[in-house]
This record gives sequence, C-alpha cells and structure tokens, in this order.
Amino acid sequence: MYKIESKNVDFFYGASQALKNINLAIKPNTVTALIGPSGCGKSTYLRLFNRMNDLIDNTKIGGQVLIDGDDIYAKGVNVDSLRKEVGMVFQKPNPFPKTIFENVAYGLRVNGITDKKFIEERVEETIKQVVLWDEVKDKLKKSAFELSGGQQQRLCIARALAIQPSIVLMDEPTSALDPISTSKVEELIYELKAKYTIVIVTHNMQQAGRVSDTTAFFYMGELVEYDNTKTIFTNPKVERTQNYITGRFG
Amino acid sequence: MKMPDENKLAKQKKRNQSIAFWIFRLLSYLIVAILFAILSFIVFKGIGVINWNFITQMPEEGMTKGGIFPAIVGTLCLVAGSMLFAFPVGVLAAIYMNEYVKDGIIKKIIKQMTNNLAGIPSIVFGLFGMSLFVNKLHFGDSILAGSLTLGLLALPVVIRTTEEALKAVDNTFRHASLGLGASKWQTTRSVVLPIAFPNIITGLILSIGRVSGETAPILFTVAAYFLPKLPTSIFDQAMALPYHLYVLSTSGTNIAESRPVAYGTALVLIIIVLIANLLANGLRKYFGKKVKMN
Amino acid sequence: MSHLDIELQQLKAETIKMWTLVNLQLSKAKEALLKLDKDLAREVILGERRVNAWELKIDRDCENIFALFNPVAVDLRFVLAVLKINNNLERTGDIAESIAKFVINVDTDFDKKLLEITRAVEMYDGALFMMEEVLEAFDKLDTALARKAFQQDEILDDINVKVNTVIADYIKNHPENIEPPLYLISVIRKLERVGDQAKNMAEEIIFYIEAKVLKHRSKAEKKKE
Repeated sequence: MYKIESKNVDFFYGASQALKNINLAIKPNTVTALIGPSGCGKSTYLRLFNRMNDLIDNTKIGGQVLIDGDDIYAKGVNVDSLRKEVGMVFQKPNPFPKTIFENVAYGLRVNGITDKKFIEERVEETIKQVVLWDEVKDKLKKSAFELSGGQQQRLCIARALAIQPSIVLMDEPTSALDPISTSKVEELIYELKAKYTIVIVTHNMQQAGRVSDTTAFFYMGELVEYDNTKTIFTNPKVERTQNYITGRFG
Repeated sequence: MKMPDENKLAKQKKRNQSIAFWIFRLLSYLIVAILFAILSFIVFKGIGVINWNFITQMPEEGMTKGGIFPAIVGTLCLVAGSMLFAFPVGVLAAIYMNEYVKDGIIKKIIKQMTNNLAGIPSIVFGLFGMSLFVNKLHFGDSILAGSLTLGLLALPVVIRTTEEALKAVDNTFRHASLGLGASKWQTTRSVVLPIAFPNIITGLILSIGRVSGETAPILFTVAAYFLPKLPTSIFDQAMALPYHLYVLSTSGTNIAESRPVAYGTALVLIIIVLIANLLANGLRKYFGKKVKMN
Repeated sequence: MSHLDIELQQLKAETIKMWTLVNLQLSKAKEALLKLDKDLAREVILGERRVNAWELKIDRDCENIFALFNPVAVDLRFVLAVLKINNNLERTGDIAESIAKFVINVDTDFDKKLLEITRAVEMYDGALFMMEEVLEAFDKLDTALARKAFQQDEILDDINVKVNTVIADYIKNHPENIEPPLYLISVIRKLERVGDQAKNMAEEIIFYIEAKVLKHRSKAEKKKE
C-alpha cells in the first residue's frame, strides 16, 4: 500500500505546463527526495500534496493525487483537514510572531483544541521530538525570533508535527542554514522517518543522498527517473540523471 | 578605430561625475534649507506668543488675545473621529483586497478607484461632505460630519499603506498557517496582521499628520469661525487649528493685531504634525523589533 | 549518533564478521591439513562462497557510503581502509580454499613428517595469530597491536626462505615421493602470502587511525614510526 500516489498528473500555471504526466508512488515511512534544476517543477509537485497550489490563482491540475488511496482533489474534500494530515516546512525558517510555546501550539489552537493541559503536553512532546527542548525549555514564553536560524527551523518542524500529520513536506528546509544546523535538521529527518512519510525538495545533492530512501529526478516538468537513492547515486539508468548528479549538466 | 586617450578619458569621466554629484548634493541641501527656512520663520514669528495660557485658554478680544485651546481640542477631536472611521474601514478594505480578492478585473477596479479617490482635491471632499453629511444626512455643521469627511480623505492613504504593509508579509507565513489547517481569517488575524502591524501603524500616523493639517474639507462641514467654548457632543461645531489659522490671516477682526497669534497657531499645528511623525517612527521601530525577521 | 555513524558502524561490524569467517576458514583448512580430513576441506571450499558474498556486500556498502554520504577525513580513511581490507580478506579466503583443495588432492599416505621439518605448522599458527591480532587491532582501534604484525611477519618470511633447502634435502632423500613436498611448498608460499595480507591490513588500520602511510617503507622505518 502506498502512502502517496500520483497518477498521470499534469499541472498548469495559466497556459504554461509545469508538470507533465507524473506517475510516482511513495511508500509509508520513507524519505523521498525530489531533485532537479531550478524551475523543473519539483516544488510545484511537492505543493500538490497539501493543495498549496490552490492558493495561486489561475492554476489547473489534471490526473489524480492519492493519499492513503483517496483522491485529494476529488469534489467534497475538506482542504483544512487534508492540510492537518500533511505538514509542511519551508525554505526559510518562518516562525510566527509569537512565543516559542504559541508557535507550536498554533496548529492545535486553530484546529479548535482548547484543553490547556493537552496543549501543554503536546507542545513539550513535540519540541522534545525535534531535539530542541533542552535549548528552549526555559524560554518558552519568549519570542520565537530570539532563536537562532537553525533553532527556528527546528521549531517550525515542531510546529508542523504538533498536529500529528502523517506526511511531512519539506521545501529546501536547510538552504538558509549553516552546516551545523543543516546536519542537525538532516539527522532529525532521518529520525522522523519512523513516524512519518517525508517528501523533501532539495538543491543539495549530498543532502538527498544522506537523508532519503528514494530519489526522484525532475527535469523541465517531467519525472526523468525515480528509484532507490542508492541506485540513483551509484548507477542511474538515465544519462540525464547521471549528468545532473555528477554536475555535468547542460 | 582610434582609441581615445585613456588619461584624457579618465579625467573627463571624473569631471562629469563630480559635476553630477554636486548637482545632487545641492538639490538635497536645498530641500533641507527650504524646510529649515519655513520652520525657523514660523518658530521665530510664533514662539513669542506661545505659553501655557496660549494653549489652554479661550481666544479673546476678537481673537487677537487669549489662547487657541478650543482649536486644539477641535483638531484632536477631528483627528480622532476621522481615524475612528478611516482606520477600520481602510484596514478592512485593504485586508479584503490583499488577502481575499483573486487577481482579476474586480481587484483592478477597486485599486483604480482607490487611486482615483486619492487624486480628488480636498475641497471637493469638503463639498461632498457638506452635501452628504451636513445636508442629506442632517448631521449639520458638526464634528461628526467633519470627521467623516476627513476620514474619507484619509481612506485611500490608509488603504494603500495597509496594503503595502500586508504585501510586505512573506507568503510563506500565510502558507505555514494555512498548511496547519488554519482558515484564511485565522491566518490573517493571528499571523499576517501582527507581522504587518508596525507598517500599518506607521501609515495610520502619517495620515493623522495629513488630516490634522487639512482646511478645505472642514470648511463647510464643521469649522466654526469663532466659538470660545469646547464641544460637548459630536453634533457640535468646533474650531480647528488650520481653519483658525486661515481665519486669522484672512478675515479676522484685526488681521495685523492677530498676526502673532496666527504664527503661534501655525507653530502649534506644526508641532502636532511633527509629534505624530516622530511617534510613527518610534512605534515602527518598537513594533518592528518585536516581529523582527532574521 | 548520526546517520553516517550508524552506517560506518554497520560497515565495521560487517567487516569484522567477514574477517572472523576468513579466520575460521583458515583454521578449518589447517585442521583439515593436519588430519588430512577431506570432508572438512570440502566444508572450507563451500565456505569460500560465503566469503565471496561478503566481499561483494562490503564493496557495495562502501560504494553507497561514498555516493550517499561523501565521507571526509577520518570517515573517508575508514571507508578507504575497509575497501582495501575487504580485498585482502577475500584473497586470504582464497588461500584457505586452495589449501583445502591441496588436502583433497593429496594422497592419504602423505608423510606427516614433512609438516614438522618444514615448520609448516608453526608457520600456519603464526599466520593465524597475525590474522587474529590484526582483527583485534581493527576492532579496538589499537595501532600498537597492529604494529606487532610487522614483527610477526618477519618470522613467517624467515620460515619461508629456509623451506627451500629443507624441501630440496627431502626430495634428495626421497626421490620416489616428489609430489607431496612440492604441494607443501606451495602451501608454505601461500601462508607467507597470508602474512603479507595481514601486514597490509595492519598498514590500512594505521592509515585509518593515524593517517600515516606505511606502505612501501623499509622494515626499519616501520619500526621507528
């Protein structure tokens, strides 16, 4: 059983086609890396899974995207509850202008949870999960902007995890971080795999190698190759993939 | 092709550059000089009459003596009233335009209309306010009518600054909030507005500065020529600083004798606007720090 | 522990498993040689398949670690060392197999006195000992222990050099029985190779831990290091 499946997915921004007939299936509790040059459609593809592209005017999707076997673009799908199921982490750390505690509690609150004790427990549990607890436990009431960039990004991951999604989407989550923070986030991704299905867009090929189980290489809106990361990085089947990962592109 | 002499070329470049720099420099000095001239002229002429009594007493003897207290109070009332109207309406309109309306013909029309509104001369606002608020709605010459008219005038400024403030909020904040299952309103209220707040408040205070100096819109809607008492309700007439100044310098009982009072009034008005601007800066810095991005 | 650390630890565990298996192959082959136990020798030949499978697996794992983790510094030296140790172990496994083949081919009336006079048993024990010690050095990151292998190897070389005259004498005295001593001399040569492999692996361990390259240095130099 696949966690995420896309069948013949096309995607258009106005008249220009950003994704062409993408077929891909992702198993649960794996990390899948989407790689490819800028503008290849990998971020667009990632944003299909929580219908973030809905926010952009004048877009159109064709084909099917299934999560746990259900078409998330079918009529009558509740987008809010879909997004609760599919967390997202962004390129730049973007904590809300709130306290550290409230950042993590935000998702719970907007989803109507008011039980104070439950929220407190959940926040602590989640911050511990992203290995940030020891660094912030004495300043939960302080602004999240007081944290370093790397800490902020882990807080953003905690924010996404607090509402217990089963899928976590990450859009270049370390591109704004220094190497130490980057490796902390990478370790985190590796550990989170046990509980979540993770899809990560990255420009950093080494990162794809380090954290992912499967890798999908996109080029000009097409899925060129999709395989185990080990295979992609040691013996890619398509020459274009090889050229890209070895840096002999174009 | 014959190459130009390099030394000569370099010299020429340098000369051109220094000429250009000097022009820019002089122009910017000129602006400062003009501002300084106006300010020092007003201060010089007006400082003599300014004392505690001047700002706390009623005008006396055909406005040649006494204070300008009712005009100060009137202006403050008008500013507060106009903001009470323009701020919520303007901010809500801007939120609607920036957060809710999709790109398209409707958004374009609203935008164009707002811009047109900003381009209307203030005297036209005054006439409009008179015919709508004073006559049609029977508010009479009143603080209410004046405030609404000034509010209309301030509306495009508030809308535009708020819109700019909202636009400056990085989209990933919205996406992060929506991505957690929050609704658009929850997102706007608890994420977007707090981030945009410093810039919104700056726009608000700048429009206060603008409103407090306007004469034309209050001319037909609220301003009293001479009313040595404080307003007791929003349906009262009131004096106002800019109008008072206008009266003193054009149609007072004794223009020559009331000149110093006129300069004093101008000085008070300038100080109020200046305070508003400084406040805007201070608040932006204060709130800006609170939501500082890295 | 980081993801790379886990991978490296697994690689080390695999290498130790393969190493233990090769050592077992060697000692089984020795047992078979001493007792001329052809069944045991066949067992060794079967075991060689497992050694080869390990070699392929470790090779692949090293390749993956290079491709996916881009190791640097000590991590890089470790993977490089394992890659070469893997190669050495596989060859040592081959040697065990060929000794087993010798046991299968040799007549059962093989003159056991030969083993004594050529010091073949002593040499075999020495080679095994080296393999065990270098394995321990690898496991415990003990470069002092690894360096002991260089001295041990000299003893093996010594036996190897002297064996020629011993065999020549034996053939002169037993011209009717030429084949066994010839076979044996090839076994001795192979044991000498085991010593060399162990020594190479010791060099790799020192390279990995101390980042010193000891290959192609004279013995005196190595001792000084």
